[in-house]
Amino acid sequence: MRTRIINTILIAGFLFAVLGVFNLSVINGKKLKELSNRNCIRLLPQPGARGKILDRSGEVIVDNYLTYDVMVMPQNEIELNRTIKVISERLGASTKDLLKRYRAGLQGTFLPVVVQKNVDTKKAIALEELKLDFPSIVIQPHPLRRYAYGNLAAHVIGYLSEIDIWRLSKLSDYGYGSKDIVGFGGVEEKYDYFLREKEGALSVEVDHRGKLVRILGYRPPENGKDILLTIDLRIQKICENTLKGRKGCVLVMEPNTGEIIALSSGPNFNPAAFINQLSPYIAGLFKDRDAPFINRAISGVFPPGSVFKGVVAAGALETGKVNLATTYTCTGSTYVGRRQFKCWDTHGPQSLIDAIAHSCDVYFYKTGILLGPQGIHDYALKFGLGKPSLIDLPYEASGFVPDPLWKKVTRLQNWYDGDTANFSIGQGDLMVTPIQMARMTAVFANGGYLVSPYIVKEIDGHSLSSYRKKSVKVPVRDSTLKYIKQGMRKVVSSPNGTASILSGVGVNLSGKTGTVQVPKGAPHGWFTGYFPSDKPRFVIVVFLENGGSGYACSVLTKQIVEEMVKQELI
Amino acid sequence: MQRSNRLILIVSLVIVCLGILSIYSSTYQKEGELWKLIYKRQIFWIILGLIFFVLLSNFNYRRFWDLTYFLYAVLVFLLLLVFILGIVRLGAQRWIRFGWFNFQPSELAKLCMVIFLARYFSTKSVDNVELQVPKFGIFRAFIIPFIFVAVPVGLIIEQPDLGTGMIIVFLFIALMYLGGVKMKFFYMLLATAIISIPVFWNYLRDYQKNRLIVFLNPNIDPLGAGYTVIQSRIAIGSGGLFGKGWLSGTQGQLHFLPEAHTDFIFASFAEEWGLFGAMVLLFLYFLLIREGIKIALSTKDQFGRLLAYGICLMLGVQIIINVSMNLGLAPVVGIPLPLMSYGGSSILITFISLGVLVNIGKRRAVF
Repeated sequence: MRTRIINTILIAGFLFAVLGVFNLSVINGKKLKELSNRNCIRLLPQPGARGKILDRSGEVIVDNYLTYDVMVMPQNEIELNRTIKVISERLGASTKDLLKRYRAGLQGTFLPVVVQKNVDTKKAIALEELKLDFPSIVIQPHPLRRYAYGNLAAHVIGYLSEIDIWRLSKLSDYGYGSKDIVGFGGVEEKYDYFLREKEGALSVEVDHRGKLVRILGYRPPENGKDILLTIDLRIQKICENTLKGRKGCVLVMEPNTGEIIALSSGPNFNPAAFINQLSPYIAGLFKDRDAPFINRAISGVFPPGSVFKGVVAAGALETGKVNLATTYTCTGSTYVGRRQFKCWDTHGPQSLIDAIAHSCDVYFYKTGILLGPQGIHDYALKFGLGKPSLIDLPYEASGFVPDPLWKKVTRLQNWYDGDTANFSIGQGDLMVTPIQMARMTAVFANGGYLVSPYIVKEIDGHSLSSYRKKSVKVPVRDSTLKYIKQGMRKVVSSPNGTASILSGVGVNLSGKTGTVQVPKGAPHGWFTGYFPSDKPRFVIVVFLENGGSGYACSVLTKQIVEEMVKQELI
Repeated sequence: MQRSNRLILIVSLVIVCLGILSIYSSTYQKEGELWKLIYKRQIFWIILGLIFFVLLSNFNYRRFWDLTYFLYAVLVFLLLLVFILGIVRLGAQRWIRFGWFNFQPSELAKLCMVIFLARYFSTKSVDNVELQVPKFGIFRAFIIPFIFVAVPVGLIIEQPDLGTGMIIVFLFIALMYLGGVKMKFFYMLLATAIISIPVFWNYLRDYQKNRLIVFLNPNIDPLGAGYTVIQSRIAIGSGGLFGKGWLSGTQGQLHFLPEAHTDFIFASFAEEWGLFGAMVLLFLYFLLIREGIKIALSTKDQFGRLLAYGICLMLGVQIIINVSMNLGLAPVVGIPLPLMSYGGSSILITFISLGVLVNIGKRRAVF
């Protein structure tokens, strides 16, 4: 009896053991198998390099350099403290910070945690030597963005930072994840998909101390694709140096193709600050009321002022409202209805070409009223105003071209002749971006084509020309263009021309100045033009926000063109 | 030689061979010459154990009757010696150095106590050759043997080696039961045990308390006390049906599983051989124990019967507790898996025990 009970207990014990093994290996087998893999398999990310950004001749504007990240494998407290202590000794960083970063970055037992970023080669080697005693230290080379010219073309390039929620929600379907570094603004954002690298990974088997036993698999990282811009670094430098410190922008474009040769917007920022996490500097940029992150050349909208007169003149000539013989006498002002509209000077009798050369407001008040608001509006659209130029940079503004119906609908007011008068000298509700002005100017420079501006020439050696929108012929007669071009040439060549200061720069320019009165502060200034006049190779737009006048812009243009001539770039 | 004796020898040889494979697999990747030689040392101990097995299977077990008190005295002496000369390893003082090897007297204690208890509970009346045990009063049935058991158990628990101590206590109760002590004493024993649990708890060392708490919930401290249990469960579970294959277990070979060649050899074996291998191993053990119990049942001599039973229980309980501990179903106590775990003392004592068992089997017809 008693022996039977003891036997039963023994048999029960064995059954218990068998069931226990069955439970673990069959019922929980899958889960435990994975835990076992997690124990011994580590994934070491292998960062690739982001694509370089080059100027049109292949000169490097932005590339990468190697720094090292110090990482620690997750492990038990005692080992961890020992490891962190030795790292802090070598790096001169405080143990507390390292531990804090370790705890913040801990993702799982199989992934190493970055405790210190951007360590230079010397220190990295010093730490690498410790690996024998501290196998849990991982030194990972890590390419970082290098901005060879600092602030240069900051708005064209953009900057890099950790992805924000808004972008993540848009991009998560395209393989982006949280904590990804993505481009903000400029080419870095627009072409992020091409520039971004594909992270590779090394999967290794490690023992209980984190020491590598063998390599299980390797997926090499893929570098991002290099991007060749249409920017000419030399001209870009000239523009940057000339604009330096001013609020405004300089835009140089090839009139036939729409290639952006130089784009400089001020105030700008140093993209490297985001790499080095210079937080006070970055915070200062975001708080700056002058909005240094805004690319004024494409995202800033301003009234065009007198540079708009070319459009009005073209419209009036096309519709036959005026011809070359039409003359109005400028007495310094004119009455539209019962209101007096002033000219900025007293010009006397003016033909169309003179009126352009002298930027006579009275002439254009009258011409504008003849053409009518709808006519001006239609021709403005034909010259590419009121809609984005579709340049390949993010956050382009579309500007605005008013018309009587719009005013009726939105403001519940009638359109008066006074509005037409303002409209015809480029003031009032009309808003344009500098890139639209460059496009408009290019129509005169290239013989009547509205070009599609672009800034990226090639990606990874492949030309993008076949994907590009073709230029559109603006429906104006050659004679119309010829007359307006004569006027624009006279702006510079005539002694009384508004930009006569540009006459002796060594190359023939044509252009148009503009000064826009603003409710607050100094007026905005414009100069749009092209050169050489007979065979235009460059369209230039200089805009100064609250920068004084068209004259100030002409002075800047002069400096730029003179420097270009000096460097034999024309 | 009878069939059952041959079976015991063959089964135990198969088990030790599996043990050598597992020890080799879990240590061959370790650094240091010592680790690389460890399976050879195990082979040496097995050969020595086999010699003892043959010697003892031809040594009349009845002579242990006369040697009992001498063995008991030697045991107590050795256990005292552990306190004086013992080597501390893994936080416990369990070993005595004999020349070039270490001996663990607590292993010996299990066998000695089985012999002692078997003799004690098979005393016969001088007058009519009748078993006296059922007539024992509380004093002779419980208190005197308890004192005899308490001395070595106390010394063993102080080493500290709670597991072995508890096994001896279990053997004491089991042999008392099989010896035929009146049931009412067991009820009294149960009552005393329940009352003394809180007192006993206070005498436990911190790490022992920890282990008991961790046993109840291993995730309390995954990198500390619960680590071994978690890793052992992972090792067994990740083996799946047919295992990762010999020399391919990651848990054991990459040392995530501590003590993979000693107390947790079952886990490293199950990792490489899977559910299938573990079942085969447990079946082999079951065959071994079943043969032992067959011998016990067919032995007329009360001393031999209790001795055989005691040996079977000693091995069986160690196997069950060790495997349960590997499965995370029993607290982690330092109990090796007989015939598998690396360790000279354990191998030697197990083979001696099996030798005694075989001898009982040979002589059961005598009476």
